[in-house]
Amino acid sequence: MERLSQVQTHLTSASRGGVQAAKQKNPDDVVIVAAYRTAITKGGKGLFKDLKSDEILYKFTKKFLEKVNVDPAKIGDVACGNVLNKGAGATEHRAAVLAAGIPDSVPFIAINRQCSSSLTAVNDIANKILAGQIDIGYACGVESMTSHYGPGALAEISPNLKKDVNAKKCEIPMGITNENIADKYHIDRKVQDEFAAASYNKAERSIELGLFKDEILPVEVEVTEEEENDDDEEDSKVVKKTVIVDTDSGPRKGVSPQSLAKIRPAFKKTGSTHAGNSSQVSDGASGALLARRDVAEKLGLPIVGKYVAYRVLGVPPEIMGVGPGYAIPQVLEATGLKVDDVSVYEINEAFAAQALFSIHKVGIDINKVNPRGGAIALGHPLAATGTRQLATLLRELKTGEIGVTSMCLGTGMGAAAVFVKE
Amino acid sequence: MLSFRTQGYNGYSVKYSPYFDNKLAVATAANFGLVGNGRLYVLSIQANGQIANDLYFDTQDGLFDIAWSEMHENHVVTANGDGSVKLFDITVPKFPIMQWKEHQREVFSTAWNLAEKTTFASSSWDGTIKIWSPNRKQSLMTLQAGKPQFQNNCAYQATFSPHNPNMLMSVNANGHVQLWDTRRPDPEVADFIGHGGAETLCCDWNKYRSTVVATGGVDKMIKLWDFRMVPTKDSTPMAVPQAAPVPLNQFIGHDFAVRRVVWSPHDGCELLSCSYDMTARVWHDQTDPNTRICRFKNHSKSKVFNQHREFVVGGDYSLWGEPGWAATTGWDEMVYIWDSKRL
Repeated sequence: MERLSQVQTHLTSASRGGVQAAKQKNPDDVVIVAAYRTAITKGGKGLFKDLKSDEILYKFTKKFLEKVNVDPAKIGDVACGNVLNKGAGATEHRAAVLAAGIPDSVPFIAINRQCSSSLTAVNDIANKILAGQIDIGYACGVESMTSHYGPGALAEISPNLKKDVNAKKCEIPMGITNENIADKYHIDRKVQDEFAAASYNKAERSIELGLFKDEILPVEVEVTEEEENDDDEEDSKVVKKTVIVDTDSGPRKGVSPQSLAKIRPAFKKTGSTHAGNSSQVSDGASGALLARRDVAEKLGLPIVGKYVAYRVLGVPPEIMGVGPGYAIPQVLEATGLKVDDVSVYEINEAFAAQALFSIHKVGIDINKVNPRGGAIALGHPLAATGTRQLATLLRELKTGEIGVTSMCLGTGMGAAAVFVKE
Repeated sequence: MLSFRTQGYNGYSVKYSPYFDNKLAVATAANFGLVGNGRLYVLSIQANGQIANDLYFDTQDGLFDIAWSEMHENHVVTANGDGSVKLFDITVPKFPIMQWKEHQREVFSTAWNLAEKTTFASSSWDGTIKIWSPNRKQSLMTLQAGKPQFQNNCAYQATFSPHNPNMLMSVNANGHVQLWDTRRPDPEVADFIGHGGAETLCCDWNKYRSTVVATGGVDKMIKLWDFRMVPTKDSTPMAVPQAAPVPLNQFIGHDFAVRRVVWSPHDGCELLSCSYDMTARVWHDQTDPNTRICRFKNHSKSKVFNQHREFVVGGDYSLWGEPGWAATTGWDEMVYIWDSKRL
């Protein structure tokens, strides 16, 4: 009885918020047409080490456009996240997307909201679609920590401002903020190492099972290798080789809490944060194409997910890692969802202590968190992480399930977003 | 308050005659309109305050809407569940004097052209709006309100502008609100999503402000729009993003979907609404037209009519009676005639 079901939809589809509203399909929804990433390689020694961020973005976007059958001229805006480049990469990343085949009539915005930059780019594109400014948009993020991370990566705060106690907090190194959380909330090294080892083990298993194959776009990279000659140093030849980068180089095999227990603390002699339970320094890019649902349907574009909501808020800079613990409840409240309505949480593992704090603060079943490993194992190419999480999330969820991505942000913030797999 | 029971038939629409101050027509359907017959009641309000049933017409499928003819005082046109549009003469009992079968599915609304008076429109679940003349056997024009990319293209309501005989608006299950100009080769002038993509069930043109309209939707909201603020296809040569423009005002208060909105014929700021929440409400739009800044707080005022015991589906303002007199009908088989000033 179609008339009966028609009346039924009048009565039931009116819910504002909650699972039903999140899953509801409306013509003006913002949907995700595609979400992909490059493999994440180790900073300083991975296969992307000789590429600047613009070249990584170029190679990724070119592959992305080949993979996603969309007319690039129909893209209404490109928002690209980047943290470490000068000016957030506004110039060179515009150049990269032009080279990749996006016409110059498509505008570009560089976004730097620290580690959430590409998730914020997704929100930027989604808001423009909701406001009717554009129909389709490309949100991406790229980071070459090889090129830009290290001493001098952060701008100095003026001496006069440093007299202000709150301003000065923004200079606290990230590792110390995590030590602060571990101290304040009594998260001992043992549980941090257990969490970190689990991340490694999950990532190792996922790579063995080929679970990242679908989300990684393989890119070709030219590497130079010196073939050393034992006798004469002058005879050493420089060989150029083309290799395909398609596997994350961060995850190690056979990591256990015991093996991590041997590593010395990195930030404080008495501390608990070390190289093995912190996110890795990495290079990589990721991106997502978003569209209004009716436009995607009209153009015959695939729909893999729905953007539901995004929230960002501030927290004390000296414990910046608590961000997800506050941002996730805020975005859940905004959407009327309960913690258990969400099937998978992708929470960025900047450090084990801050991730554990956030998981326990929100009350999330830890089995739902980063089922394929997190940044401790995979790496954390700062601005690429947001859409990397989205690409992973949409392959972890089953159709109709709800997922959340979240991360903490340097200088004290938390960001979180809700998506539905379709 | 006066009442009449349409026993065995659930009300879908009630309309005051434009010719007689005491006559009403009521469209009803058996079994809540889900399956079975329909019945058109013609009622008259007696001097003693009773409502008399002058006559009724039985139809083979439910009736979902009616429109009184603007050029013949005895003619009423009905929207039928079997896809037909029927014209009845209330002096000719039992059978319709004309009927048209062109719609492929249920017809949900009928509206007479108030400005030009010789034509009327119907809208249907088949996604089309048709314009008819009582003198012709075929429709004069078909407007394609539905779009192939949407699953449900039901055109819930289409209605003529009272100010311009060539302009119509329509609302659809796919959430789109459309503006039509029948003089154009491509008659669709504007198209936007009004209720956040929710099914939009009803609409009406303001009788005093020629560019102002109201829509009601499954999102429980009533929104007022000024068509001057909606981008038309002509104004932007590039693809027009169909996201919603900013409404002039929005009325929030119904607890369920809004099934009908009717502007008062006597007050350009007063609106009657009927809802699945079993109430009819009378709203007063308090936005100041000189300061069109969208802050919706305290910009509307509503009064609630809560006599109905089931979904309220149809309603109309009395044209010739005291300003504020209204009639409503619903699934509780009742027609109520009441004074919105006394709520």
